[in-house]
Amino acid sequence: MLSLSEYAIEINGLVKKFGDLTAVNGVNLRIKKGEIFGLLGPNGAGKSTTINMLLGLLAPTSGKISVNGIDMLKNPERAKGQIGIVTQETVVEPELTAEDNLMIFGRLYQIPADELRKDIDFALKLSDLESFRKAYAGTFSGGMKRRLETAKALMHAPQILLLDEPTTGLDVQNRTKIWELLRKINKEDNVTILMTTQYLEEADQLCNRIAIIDHGKLIALGTPSELRQKIGMSTILEVSGDKEMLPKIAQMFRKAGLEPQTLTNKVLASAGSKPVEKIEKILKLLSASKIDVRNVSLHEPTIDDVFLKLTGSEVRDETGSFKGGRGMIMRRG
Amino acid sequence: MGLLNDTYTLLLRELLIFKKNFKVNIIRSMIFPIIFIILLGAFGSTPKNVPVALVNYDNGPASLQFMNLLQSGNSVRVVSSTTQQAAMNLLSEGDVAAVIVIPGGFSRSQIPKPDVYVYLDNSQPQSAVVVNQVVNQASSEMAGRLAAGTAPGSTPNPVPVVSNYAYGAASNYESFVVGGLVIMVAAFGSVFSAGFSVISDRELGNLKAFLTTPINKFAILLSKIGYGTMQSLLSAYIGLAIGIALGATVAAGFIGLLELIWIVFLVGLGFGSLSIALAARSKQLQTYALIGQTIVMPTAFLGGAFVPISLLPPVLQSVSVVNPLTYAVNAVRAVMIKGSLPLGDLVVDSAVLLAFAAVMVAIAFVLFRNTSEQLS
Repeated sequence: MLSLSEYAIEINGLVKKFGDLTAVNGVNLRIKKGEIFGLLGPNGAGKSTTINMLLGLLAPTSGKISVNGIDMLKNPERAKGQIGIVTQETVVEPELTAEDNLMIFGRLYQIPADELRKDIDFALKLSDLESFRKAYAGTFSGGMKRRLETAKALMHAPQILLLDEPTTGLDVQNRTKIWELLRKINKEDNVTILMTTQYLEEADQLCNRIAIIDHGKLIALGTPSELRQKIGMSTILEVSGDKEMLPKIAQMFRKAGLEPQTLTNKVLASAGSKPVEKIEKILKLLSASKIDVRNVSLHEPTIDDVFLKLTGSEVRDETGSFKGGRGMIMRRG
Repeated sequence: MGLLNDTYTLLLRELLIFKKNFKVNIIRSMIFPIIFIILLGAFGSTPKNVPVALVNYDNGPASLQFMNLLQSGNSVRVVSSTTQQAAMNLLSEGDVAAVIVIPGGFSRSQIPKPDVYVYLDNSQPQSAVVVNQVVNQASSEMAGRLAAGTAPGSTPNPVPVVSNYAYGAASNYESFVVGGLVIMVAAFGSVFSAGFSVISDRELGNLKAFLTTPINKFAILLSKIGYGTMQSLLSAYIGLAIGIALGATVAAGFIGLLELIWIVFLVGLGFGSLSIALAARSKQLQTYALIGQTIVMPTAFLGGAFVPISLLPPVLQSVSVVNPLTYAVNAVRAVMIKGSLPLGDLVVDSAVLLAFAAVMVAIAFVLFRNTSEQLS
């Protein structure tokens, strides 16, 4: 589809109020065509509200959203047609076959009847579910459902794909399959991708640019390496241990002349210019005080650290279903 | 074009899901009527003080004695009438449940005795059964007394009684119960499909997914109402089929069954929309199911589905006047028991149900409009 706008998504002065609460407070964002863009933010930061407005589910209090140059508020049906969506909850109908799931959504996305057959075949192939065409989606594994849903979102060949935490809860194998799929459609079909994720490493690896949103405002925007440089953090010293030990560990950090930040299961601090010296000091202090720790490490700042520094919180507290950690994510190469 | 096409797509989805669960759906639609008919069939209550009009063309001692016998229990209350015509008017207006005619010459010692004629309103089957019992009892009692010489005349034969039904079919309690049951399962059918699927679609995230597609959101509403109405028709006709298998009769025959499609359709439309209005406001499936049940059961009951409205307390009788199901039940009974749906009844019943459905559809539209805001 031809469009004059050079941006896939343009958000101008977006505000959403729920009564007294301002969930989104003047967000401006331009996402270029062909970009893979990550939108990050802690829970309650306004991320979901922004996404819901982009999906046309919520009407903004003020501001403007356009999708491929089409105004979402004035022309919601056309604008929605430009976007493919993979939501947080896996939405496939368990009582329908893979094929019928695709058929229903193909029709809702206004795919003409004579092309529908072909598009269903394409989607089944894309999601590697050709041999499960006639199987009910209720019998699928979590990963298969997610692939089916992703294929469903791509069936009408949207120019923009919006993914709300696409890999949450998936195992490494299925996660990798989704990543491959996203890279492939971005590269081959020039599909613009806007995604939210709890796995910051995922954003680091997949996204060309990242925006961090907190308290309803954009607080950072740039490429992953730009963001890392921007906060100017040196090597990070991190000590993890049992919860009750954390205050003591933090005390040791202060003794060593570090500014500790305590999270749910670890204490960390910027190690300054002499990281090896600092780690030696900490190790000595810890063993002298007989404090049990699980792990002591030095690492380069990651997006998690950037996020932590900027928002003062982890991407999601550990009480949620998400058990995060970079160990879960397979490194590329 | 767009709205209709999207509605069709979403309805197709409901039907494909229905097809997958076909057996379970059909069995579920069957269980309720079977249990209900068997249970209620066994509990056919016996009313007291059933009003009957008595026309006495004899006025001899035997007829007076017969009259006293009729009134000896308190099963019937006799209203005297001077002419058969006047009595029949009372019957057709529903003021009395039966007309008993004692012919002239009843007291004369003539053999055989002339027949006592009984005209019964079989749209009130319980009452009809009671009147028949009382008349037959009085008749054999008379015969006994005559034989023992305690009454004037000396005929040992029982007084012959001829019973006539006011309407086409010889009614039974099953027909009465099935008439009400059909309407109740129709209402339940739509409440437990239309609104129910709105809630489960919301919980599963399907509703959100539909709303993010380029469709008119009212297509979702229309498809759910359509699905509810289909389920109403299915439940009602399964209920009818089971009722007939268990002994109910349809006086108006096959044509009557076709007439009922319109009535059941309106019930489904109204209650389906009502259920969507409910679903738009209740967050949990349990809450919804509870509310749904507490609406349908009393409404059906107050509509005279299982107990004639004339037996309800006066306060509840006035509620029945504004109850849409009263009119639906009336229409089904007319077809099953009276043998046809009179044009006047059809117009009134349809008008009330149509108005009810229209109001409910409008409410459903208004409440459904904000659905997407509530989802987020």
